[in-house]
Amino acid sequence: MTAISVSTRVASGRRQIVNVRQHLLNVAKWRVLMVALGFGAVALVALLRIVFLGIFQPAPQHLTMAEALLPDRGEIVDRNGVPLARALRTYSMWYNPKAMGKGSPLWRTPAEVAQAIGAVFPDIDPAELAERLAENKAFYIRRRILPEQANRLNDLGEPALEFPRENERFYPQGTMAAHVLGFVSSDHKGRIGMEEVLDKWLTDPETRGTPAVLSLDFRVQGALEDELSKGMIDAQAKGAAGIVLDTDTGEVLALASLPSFNPNNIRSADIAQTVEMRERGETPKGFNRVTNQVYELGSTFKPLTVAAAIDAGTVTDLSKRYAVGRPIEIGGFQIRDSHNLGGSLNVPETLIQSSNIGTARIADELGGARLKQVMQQLGMDKRPQIELTSRGRPLWPDADWSRITTMTVSYGHGVAVTPLHLASAYAAMVNGGLWRPATLKRLEPGEAPKGERVFKASTSARMRQLLRMIVVYGTGKNANAAGFRVGGKTGSAEKPGAGGYRRSSLVSTFAAAFPMDRPRYVVIAMLDEPQGTAATSGQRTAAFNAAPAVGRIVPRIGPLLGIMPDETRDVDISDLKPLISAGGHE
Amino acid sequence: MNLSSIRARSIGWAFVLTVCFALTMALTLRVNAVKSQVRLAERKIVALRQDKQFLETEFQARSSQQQLKAINDVEFGYNAPGAEQYIEGERQLASLGKERSPDAPAPIRVASAASDDQAAFPGMVSPLTGKPVDSGDAIRDLQIAVSAEQAAPAQTHVTLSKAGGQ
Repeated sequence: MTAISVSTRVASGRRQIVNVRQHLLNVAKWRVLMVALGFGAVALVALLRIVFLGIFQPAPQHLTMAEALLPDRGEIVDRNGVPLARALRTYSMWYNPKAMGKGSPLWRTPAEVAQAIGAVFPDIDPAELAERLAENKAFYIRRRILPEQANRLNDLGEPALEFPRENERFYPQGTMAAHVLGFVSSDHKGRIGMEEVLDKWLTDPETRGTPAVLSLDFRVQGALEDELSKGMIDAQAKGAAGIVLDTDTGEVLALASLPSFNPNNIRSADIAQTVEMRERGETPKGFNRVTNQVYELGSTFKPLTVAAAIDAGTVTDLSKRYAVGRPIEIGGFQIRDSHNLGGSLNVPETLIQSSNIGTARIADELGGARLKQVMQQLGMDKRPQIELTSRGRPLWPDADWSRITTMTVSYGHGVAVTPLHLASAYAAMVNGGLWRPATLKRLEPGEAPKGERVFKASTSARMRQLLRMIVVYGTGKNANAAGFRVGGKTGSAEKPGAGGYRRSSLVSTFAAAFPMDRPRYVVIAMLDEPQGTAATSGQRTAAFNAAPAVGRIVPRIGPLLGIMPDETRDVDISDLKPLISAGGHE
Repeated sequence: MNLSSIRARSIGWAFVLTVCFALTMALTLRVNAVKSQVRLAERKIVALRQDKQFLETEFQARSSQQQLKAINDVEFGYNAPGAEQYIEGERQLASLGKERSPDAPAPIRVASAASDDQAAFPGMVSPLTGKPVDSGDAIRDLQIAVSAEQAAPAQTHVTLSKAGGQ
């Protein structure tokens, strides 16, 4: 204020100037004050905001840890917790031509970029890719790439190449158990297999955090697929199928259908049958031969017939001999054996030498009604019981069984069932006589169904001896894995075709159980149209292709399942041994 | 005077309130800060778990049954062990053993080197106190004990103790 104090001696002209100056200074002061107030207000607002944030921070919008870790789709694990299918956030490579705004989306020429991508993915054609890149349209260059591949391509420094992380379904074991697992389609729905069956469980937020546990054991599954595919290659077969079933619970330890498909990379030909495939008589790889395809399983039915006859009391004496010297003529048909087996055979010999005539005579004594009833109790007239949706309907003679129907069914013709039907029936035959449905879900101890009695326990005990004898002395010798007490029956059935059975197309099956002194697992191996090759001694029958496959599978899976080989132990067959001619049949 | 006391009390209450308010504010801010830290840590855990799962899956894919089979076919050629390679129990194991015949060669002894952290013998324990001692102490203890009980030469005992303790 001292600066603007004026002397009274100042002239009036100067006074005016001083007034103006005073006015200007006032205005300036006001302005400073206003600006200061403005700053102050802003600072206050900022401070209040900080305090508000500090005290009343709005509820965080983030997910809890459990929610963040909840998979997009539930995991499927095997009985020991090994993941077979899981949700995985993988990198994809996406071409976004708008990433750079206007102008060319790529720094380099499309050809150079395509070349660099081709160096990382050798299966990509660089010329074709360069053309697509030049079109300036967004597209996935590749989905599901490895982080190291993403890093290498990121080093190119092209902003138009983006690497978004996406939720994908991944099957770490590749093609293994593909038919059991199924796959997830692009609309995130489970297709075929357990992906379809468990779709609701796997997608429901309440349940999908808990893995779905299957009854499969991935080690057993691996061994089964491995040996079946070896058998299939050795015999140059069109396909193969196999199953390992727990006799006491009905749990499926392994289920394989070959050729298989890769659920990580589904092609339309894996699922849908093309016209060419239909013409060649091929089925898509996704077709499950174990549960969906029905076959006449041939001689593997013979033990079931014998068991039914023993159970019904029509066979009380196993040493009773049946005439097999001449074919049976009935209704204009002839029932023959593959070769002459002599004049007569008793029951163990009939099975060991796999005589159609002998079995037909045993069934004839038993009668159609009783055989049919046993087969119905074993579920042969219905679709197989398992969770999967793809289940084949058996070809089943529905009317009263005539003599000829009874006789042909007794050795596995005239009725076509899936290999799974056979596995469940064999389980019932050796486990003491109780039939249980097969399941792909792991059962906790005590959860196993009680089962329906089909055979008496005594019949079952007798059948164990007979099945063991077939492997020791008969057609199943090649399946006799040392120390594992395998018992089983071969079956080589001609496939039906136009105008009767085709002699050149066989379905060879070996149905086995082990260890025969206390059966725990049923193993079925089936080859579709095997050929006679050097590896199978030029033979096409089950004794030379399916039986050796079981002989290789059992030593691999037995110890994994807690069954140790022991050559000092076996089912007691001493009471039946005198009934067979020395040396048995090769 | 009276007025000033009331006034002082009011000022005091106001001060206490202000301090309480400030402390509450500080505590609230601190709690929120810790909450944020927890959230950050959770987020990190989630990220790490996802990474772990990814690596696990990659490992499973690379070590899938088919890969292992392919490696075995090419590199090792292992087969499933045969029945003769399994042993039922100790009895069966014992049955495999045979007594040495008189003219049998001496059993092969395998050389081994004792590492520093695994002493060849346990440390010496004083026979008098039962506590671990170094050898010098033990000798002294023994000498004292022996000389006290009998005037016989203690050297023999000492030598034995040393031999046993080393």
